[in-house]
Amino acid sequence: MIRHFFINMFRNIRHNKVFTLINLGNLVVGFAVFILFSVLVDYELSYDKFNTNYEQIYRVQTRQEDSYPINYCTYSPPAYRYHLLSDLPEVEKVLLMREVSGGAHGSGQFFTLPDGSQLNEQDGYWSENTIFDIFTVPLIEGSKQNALTEPNTIALSETLAKKLFPTGSATGKLVTIGKHYPLTVSAVYADFPLNSSLRPTYMVSMPTYDILGDGPQYRDNWRQIQFDNFILLKKGADPEQVNAKIRDAFKNIKDYEKSFPYLHPLSKHHISPNSQGDMLIGLAILSLAAVLVLILACVNYVNLSLANSTQRSKEIGIKKVIGSSQRFLAYQFLAETVLHTLFATLVALFVAQAALPLLNRIMEKNFDLSIWSNGTMLGLILLVSLLVGVLSGLYPALVISAYNPVKVLKGKLFSNGGTSFSVKKVLVVAQFSISLFMLLVSFILYGHVNFILNKDLGFASKNILYTEINVHDTTDFETIKNRMLQHSEISDVAFSSTIPFIGNIGGYISWEDGAPDDRVMVSRNYVNYDFIPTYNLKMVYGRNFSREYPADNQACIINETALKVFGWKDPVGKRITLYGRAYPVIGVVKDFHPYSVHNLIPTYVMFLNSNVISGSSLISVRYTSGSEANAKTIVTRELEDILPNDPFEFKDFGVAFYLDYAIGFWQTMKRMFIFFAVVTLFISTIGLFGLILFTVRRRTKEIGVRKVLGSSIITVYWQLSSEVIYMLGFAVILGCPAAMVIYKAMPGAYKEPLSALVFVAGILLIAVIAQLTISYHVLKVAVSNPVEALRYE
Amino acid sequence: MINLTGIDKYYDSKFQRSFVLKGINLHVKEGEFLSIMGPSGSGKSTLLNIIGLLDKPSEGQYTLFDKSVLDLKEKEMVDYHRHFMGFIFQAYHLIEDMTVVENIETPLIYKGVKSRDRKAMVADLLDRFSMVAKKDLFPQQLSGGQQQLVGIARAIVGKPKLLLADEPTGNLHSSQGEMIMGVLDELNKEGMTIIQVTHNERFAEFGKRIIRLEDGYLSKL
Ligand SMILES: Nc1ncnc2c1ncn2[C@@H]1O[C@H](COP(=O)(O)OP(=O)(O)OP(=O)(O)O)[C@@H](O)[C@H]1O
Ligand SMILES: [Mg+2]
Repeated sequence: MIRHFFINMFRNIRHNKVFTLINLGNLVVGFAVFILFSVLVDYELSYDKFNTNYEQIYRVQTRQEDSYPINYCTYSPPAYRYHLLSDLPEVEKVLLMREVSGGAHGSGQFFTLPDGSQLNEQDGYWSENTIFDIFTVPLIEGSKQNALTEPNTIALSETLAKKLFPTGSATGKLVTIGKHYPLTVSAVYADFPLNSSLRPTYMVSMPTYDILGDGPQYRDNWRQIQFDNFILLKKGADPEQVNAKIRDAFKNIKDYEKSFPYLHPLSKHHISPNSQGDMLIGLAILSLAAVLVLILACVNYVNLSLANSTQRSKEIGIKKVIGSSQRFLAYQFLAETVLHTLFATLVALFVAQAALPLLNRIMEKNFDLSIWSNGTMLGLILLVSLLVGVLSGLYPALVISAYNPVKVLKGKLFSNGGTSFSVKKVLVVAQFSISLFMLLVSFILYGHVNFILNKDLGFASKNILYTEINVHDTTDFETIKNRMLQHSEISDVAFSSTIPFIGNIGGYISWEDGAPDDRVMVSRNYVNYDFIPTYNLKMVYGRNFSREYPADNQACIINETALKVFGWKDPVGKRITLYGRAYPVIGVVKDFHPYSVHNLIPTYVMFLNSNVISGSSLISVRYTSGSEANAKTIVTRELEDILPNDPFEFKDFGVAFYLDYAIGFWQTMKRMFIFFAVVTLFISTIGLFGLILFTVRRRTKEIGVRKVLGSSIITVYWQLSSEVIYMLGFAVILGCPAAMVIYKAMPGAYKEPLSALVFVAGILLIAVIAQLTISYHVLKVAVSNPVEALRYE
Repeated sequence: MINLTGIDKYYDSKFQRSFVLKGINLHVKEGEFLSIMGPSGSGKSTLLNIIGLLDKPSEGQYTLFDKSVLDLKEKEMVDYHRHFMGFIFQAYHLIEDMTVVENIETPLIYKGVKSRDRKAMVADLLDRFSMVAKKDLFPQQLSGGQQQLVGIARAIVGKPKLLLADEPTGNLHSSQGEMIMGVLDELNKEGMTIIQVTHNERFAEFGKRIIRLEDGYLSKL
């Protein structure tokens, strides 16, 4: 019996090569995409779970309810560590960390290599030794007891240790951070895995911070929201209880009354670091797409099976006459489908594994995944495969096994439609709808990403170079500026504490005419006289800071959003208050985007700095167009000359732009969806191709019989076309609103209004593909000999 | 064995009922060889299909061995097809994806016969029809007469009591037709009840009894 079944199946495959190829290919592609995405989603959800205690690890973050929209800040002040968390009975361990030269810029630090050259390393942290108790960090050299307990010690990741000390062990050796500061290597730890949201390349002990900073008084600071506070809760402790206990910590901190500490579980760090759903929504949209591709493949399968069943109907009729039961035939079909899907899944697994590098390219990730090593995943995929097999086999099995043998043997099956026909229409409509939906969403995402990438940011973002620099010796900025401006290639030079897309300094201000309790979180920037001209910001009221007005160092310039918030009619001369000090407004700049267009424009206030550069700053240079190549060399040489002891590196502003989290997110989304759209179109074209092939084949005989080839070809063509257009109509009704829902769900502060063009283009593309497919098949029949057509069956 | 009384078969279309069979009364005894003749469209195939439980009459009674077979459950009907009757068709209707052996074997599989017994039974028939050399060929590789021999072998391999043949020689040259009729005659002599539909007067004579259908009516001649 079993042998009989297999022989039957394989003969059938051989007999219907085109059909089998189309249908299995369709399933393989559908499953490969689905598998890739299951792996991807699984990976995204696997973040940080390598930590044995990950369920008990929380970052204590700061919710700022007086900013609009509410800001879920991942950072927190050091006072959490010393005055809030350490005495809680639920807390087992506390950990205070800070990004090295973090806070405003979050940039890396320079190490001096033995040959004197500079190595810039991102993601360095000041850290307490408890990191080794809370996170799972295997040590390669040194001991967990005292890796970060002593002042002037540093723990290196394995990779950095290899870079600094290619041979021999690193512990006990000295490294020079910046160009000045020697630290002793106390330990070398294994690199944090790629799916860790915290990945320090090196960690400097917190006691070093005490020395290098302004001494241990920072520990009492509630306002310096630039640190990371981690805790390990005791087993079974309720995070909600802790939340309730720490909620009112800022009650007595002036200007920070509307800030609240809260626990953010480690498991959510990657997907939703600042308690925002953006990435989750993105992931959900992508998963939906992956599931839809699989459904599309199944719908295709069902359609094609039904179409192909006309070929097999005679066989079924005979089998019934010679004593096969309907149930047996149904089982046979079902088993065949399940085997097809299982086989397709198996092939798809190989295809998916082979396509992982492609996924890496698209996502700009670095997955080193083996599909085969993930047992649960494999099991789940097989389960889905089985389910898909049963679901897409059930209907064809029931329809096909119910064929009436007398009719089938007379070849009358399709002369009168019957019920199966409308179900088939529903399936084709589903196929069209899914394709259209995917296409539209791709277009929408494509448009949105272009919008985000190309929208006028409101400042000169072209021809800008910038560098972060930590200046040890106070230097008059005019010297730097004049040296650089000597070159005709350089048109503007400015320095400031933040620049667009890099850095953010928050702060609460109140304003003249505001209610006594009104406070708003603003983005602050300390700029010199040249910042506004360098970035080409436009003044809408008042003027820029000027050397002619010495009092400007007590004044400020706000943006239009701030003006709206304050509700002033006549802004120049009004006052804002920051930390108890009043600053008159001397001008208002036209709104520009200090962050990517994904985010709302914040209330923004600029203050004048002393024009003397010291400590951590950003230098911006605008060069004349056409001198890209020279400009970087010139400014690097000049700055090195003036500040030989302070490492820096000029970068194009484009680098800052693409470093933005949201920009990266949207680019990935766009590429993913283009990938999906291509796959979708491919699968639906396959489906349509097969479907029309069989319809035409069925009519071939009829065409041949009539012999009036010309006219009947046109009849068939119109019949097919109108049928397809009719079904496409339904697809438009379903697919377009669904795409609009996605548009609405898309995260982002600014979106381009939906254009009707998107819909027209999507519908047209599908219609054209359908028409081309129809034309191809009908033409093939038309040019063939009618006698041959007759011989077909 | 077979008892048809007052069998009507009609199709309703828009405003009109068109009869294919009208008031058919027919009794067939065990071991009989019956030939049904009549002009094209007179309802011969329809009648044969009703007898073979492939079609249902619109009116009338049908009993097999005194048991009514008009309201059978699917399972019972399948049982009749498996154990009681075999079919031969004008167009042979062999399964194209199966070899000669597999075609003949299939009904036995449905009957649940063990593999070893199946082999023996099939080999027996191949021998009898001198088809041993062709056993692994596919239907398209055989002549019409050979295909019909396979059709017969498949119909009788399960040792049915009743063999229904719808123009078994319709597509064959007369010499091949002759050979097929010889086989049917032999089977009948061995005790099998046979009902055949034929247009050929000479082949009809192989039957012990001939009935004629005229426009759905039975006209005994
Ligand atoms: N589904 C149907 N609807 C309407 N009429 C039908 C249907 N099926 C068969 N008929 C009619 O029933 C009549 C008898 O058909 P049947 O096949 O039994 O004739 P036949 O005697 O076997 O003819 P032939 O010798 O050509 O095989 C025909 O006129 C046919 O048109
Ligand atoms: Mg007939």
